[in-house]
Amino acid sequence: MIGDVIERSLRERSPLISVEALLGNCDGSRMPEILADRLTSAIVQRLVEVCPTAALSMEESEACRCLQLSYGKCIGCGKCMEAGEGAVVPAKHFTRCGVAKEQTVRLWDVDGRAEVTPLAPNPEEARGVIHSLLQRALNVRQLDAGSCNGCEAEISALTNPYYDLERFGIHFVASPKHADMLLVTGPVTRNMAEAVKATYEAVPAPKLVVAVGACGCSGGIFAGSHAIVGAVDAVIPVDGFIPGCPPTPTMLITGILEVLRRRIAK
Amino acid sequence: MIPQTKDGAAARLVTVFGSLGPRREKWVHYIFDVGEPPYSEITLPGDGPVRSIAREIPAAAWHERELHDQYGIEIVGHPDLRPLVFHENWPDGVYPMIDSVDGVPWANREYRFLQVQGEGVAEVAVGPVHAGIIEPGHFRFSVVGDTILHLELRHSYTHKGSERLFEGKSPVDGAMLAESVSGDNCFAHAVCYSQAVENACGIEVPSRASTIRLIGLELERLVCHISDVGGLCTDVGFSVAAAYATRLKESLLQASVQCCGTRYWRGVSVPGGLRFDLDSTKVAGLVQAVTRASRDFSDIAHMILETPSIQNRFETAGVLSQEAARDLAVVGPGARASGRDLDVRRDHPYGPYGNCSIEVPVTHYGDVMARARIRIAEAAVSVELIQQTAKSLPDGSVLNPVAAQGDLQGFSAVESPRGELCYWIQSRGGRLTRCHIKSPSFQNWPAMPLAVEGNIIADFPLINKSFNLSYSGCDR
Repeated sequence: MIGDVIERSLRERSPLISVEALLGNCDGSRMPEILADRLTSAIVQRLVEVCPTAALSMEESEACRCLQLSYGKCIGCGKCMEAGEGAVVPAKHFTRCGVAKEQTVRLWDVDGRAEVTPLAPNPEEARGVIHSLLQRALNVRQLDAGSCNGCEAEISALTNPYYDLERFGIHFVASPKHADMLLVTGPVTRNMAEAVKATYEAVPAPKLVVAVGACGCSGGIFAGSHAIVGAVDAVIPVDGFIPGCPPTPTMLITGILEVLRRRIAK
Repeated sequence: MIPQTKDGAAARLVTVFGSLGPRREKWVHYIFDVGEPPYSEITLPGDGPVRSIAREIPAAAWHERELHDQYGIEIVGHPDLRPLVFHENWPDGVYPMIDSVDGVPWANREYRFLQVQGEGVAEVAVGPVHAGIIEPGHFRFSVVGDTILHLELRHSYTHKGSERLFEGKSPVDGAMLAESVSGDNCFAHAVCYSQAVENACGIEVPSRASTIRLIGLELERLVCHISDVGGLCTDVGFSVAAAYATRLKESLLQASVQCCGTRYWRGVSVPGGLRFDLDSTKVAGLVQAVTRASRDFSDIAHMILETPSIQNRFETAGVLSQEAARDLAVVGPGARASGRDLDVRRDHPYGPYGNCSIEVPVTHYGDVMARARIRIAEAAVSVELIQQTAKSLPDGSVLNPVAAQGDLQGFSAVESPRGELCYWIQSRGGRLTRCHIKSPSFQNWPAMPLAVEGNIIADFPLINKSFNLSYSGCDR
């Protein structure tokens, strides 16, 4: 009976995860972190060979030989961690969520054994804007452009009692016409390209678009297929990218808040 | 041509697909289930016209349309050969499994929906973009008032050319792509693919690995069924129960992270076993979480089913008859709720399932309530299996490395949370030349229109949820 369910529910302690524990958390995503002092030419070469989506690559210029890691392409398969002899470990903290495309890329000087990327965004800053965000509501429309439904499962989890996205004044709406933000998952398939454009057009300006997951950011494991057009930004303009395959709910929240922070900071 | 079971009935169609031989000649493969091992495979040449079997076996209709779209094989006598895989954007005469697919031009060809005519008949077009966090698909309802006369499906919006993408990969590397065919059932896909390669190579998986696979597969089923029962509650506005279910699901996903590093067991199974061993104490921790969640789930599920408004909405909604389930070769919980006693784990055991006695819940009502009850009963069976197997987790290695050289061919079937999932792989010279995926959703989607006929359109989301079919798994 309904009363029994409610009573049972009320008896449980709230599992809500605090904002402090959410931001930058990436447990379960297997996003790689490079330990620069352990890099050698041989390891770098192996990393580039084993990466199935070319997320790891060598960028050689006159200035330096760099190992490039494009998080937008990374599917978190962990092969680099197996092959990296300790130079690649699972990231404990990951803040490149909701950032501009160039910020999803990191570079390490192989000879100098040091990172040469500009610093990652600081989620503490995103925390600072949460209070100002609380004064308004953000309507989000999720759009599946051809995803495997892994990202959908994680986006659905945002509304469960652990993450409770509504506490930030953010909620999911049924129509793009009611939305401020489109959360787009999947590589854009040929069969969805037209619907993706139409949905984007239906969102009233000003609008934000977030590409979610390796497929949304880069095509992911489906890059190069005849049946897809490409990443989300091949079809509509994108304001922020959330890597991961799939991104965990904590990465999604970090990313959505970061996109908002950047918007407000503009 | 159609094989028979030992009782003399026509065997159940499992899948139909094409392949290219070494001289690029076309072949058509039919796989049937005669109710006991092994699966029966028939292969016919496909260069000339092939006679359709869709009139005798309606379950073959979509398979043959796909075969026509992918290989350009002429199917004679098919009742409906409209394009299935590609929409208006794809040019006629380009067949992605045999032709070059670089720079295929954009076309604008015609697609005709079936038209239902008569006084008071209205059409309601829904999708591909739906209201909710859900995958894309198009539903074309013909209604009189609120009552659905006919529903026509149009899918393949998430078609990503996955089967073709396998080609050229090393058989060992394909598991990763298999995980992205249907993300919420990624472990079933990874295990099924891995088993197909193992069967092709004739290698045994270490018992520790196959036992851990069983735990992962049953956990995935448990998570899926908890989520579905919660989803059904969402669709009738019972949000407290729905939130409770999402909480139980999340507790299991977080326990998975502790146990294997990912929420959905991605990157765990590979051909030959597992990529890494799972610590026995971590497995024990997972089993504890399962025991806790299942106790709560069983309590809450009981309360949900005792709620009169739930009974009112679930009972008699979306009835799928046993005949329709048989003709369309429906699999999984949807089949078992309509009196079809099928379960790959029992009928074609793999891994340690051969040593387990598997209770297969079956009921004949075929409505939303029946599917909900089947899921709840199956969740309990999964919990029991996890608890039993975890008690006697064998020691030893978890990987028997696969050297997938030479020419190989292998098949595997797994009972995924949505029903029978199959992979058929072929490789030459250590590279995959074909990987066919028969997803349970592809098989089950055509049954949905039959289940919604005569129901009111407002019940469609509920009926749809009760089948819980994957769009991406269907479209691939």
